[in-house]
Amino acid sequence: MFGLSNPQRFMAFTGPLTPVLWAVAAVLLAVGTWLSFTVPSDYQQGDTVRIMFVHVPAAVWGLGAYSALGVSSFFALVFRHALADAAARAAALPGAAFTALALFTGSLWGQPMWGTWWVWDARLTSVLVLFLFYLGYMALRASIDDEQKGARAAAVLGLVGLINLPIVKFSVDWWNTLHQPASFLTPGSSGLDPVYLPPFLTMLAAYGVLFSALWLTAIRTEIRRRRVLTLRARQALEA
Amino acid sequence: MLDLDMAPYAAFVWPAWGVSALVLAALVARAVIASRKWKRELERLETDPTSDASDSNRPQVARSAIGPLK
Repeated sequence: MFGLSNPQRFMAFTGPLTPVLWAVAAVLLAVGTWLSFTVPSDYQQGDTVRIMFVHVPAAVWGLGAYSALGVSSFFALVFRHALADAAARAAALPGAAFTALALFTGSLWGQPMWGTWWVWDARLTSVLVLFLFYLGYMALRASIDDEQKGARAAAVLGLVGLINLPIVKFSVDWWNTLHQPASFLTPGSSGLDPVYLPPFLTMLAAYGVLFSALWLTAIRTEIRRRRVLTLRARQALEA
Repeated sequence: MLDLDMAPYAAFVWPAWGVSALVLAALVARAVIASRKWKRELERLETDPTSDASDSNRPQVARSAIGPLK
């Protein structure tokens, strides 16, 4: 595992793995979409239950991506490891996109079910804060000309943002919220009707594998980009 | 059996799925395009190291760069 922290070994290992992840993600997304529109509508929520199959995976992997960003930031900051910094940077955009999708699809689900597009309850607000952390991370990196300084400042922000993850997760337990409490990943039993489990779990896996493919591809791209910068700098010195 | 009749919630279900599909497709397209661009650029520099010596697009900082890939 630690051997993969070497960029050469990382590139060699992820080279054949990445296309496999893309293919698995495509298959899971196709199967998950098919299953999502073949299950019966919910007796209370009607067809809006189908929004769940894109909303919850986006929210779960929005959180997952930030965990990856935060842990990578820790290694980048403490050990000054270039690959960890590349991994943190690579997780930001897909994570932000997934979180934005969770907010958008949640709003579309909330309007017919709650009668409002948005409410400042703890879950929705903490997810919005998560999205702002993503934006702040990317903006901070982009705003500092010196890449190393920008990476360090962004890593600090990335670490600070980790505090928000348990707040997002437990917000529905700590406060009274309009958002429902955790029902899918509750230990012991799932509050979800068994008929919805196949599309839900397939889409959850699809988003996870897709994030992995996006993340690995972006890390590989970042490694190549830095190598190009190194070669250009060397040539400029020799010229 | 495939059920595509979302009435009376079509105005909520289809935008949720449509925007999700668009965003995921955009993420994939961006990742693939960027990957190809830098792969091509790296191959070009490694095969013809002198081709980029006068490139005005020089890095401001190369200290964070990663060593040889091969």
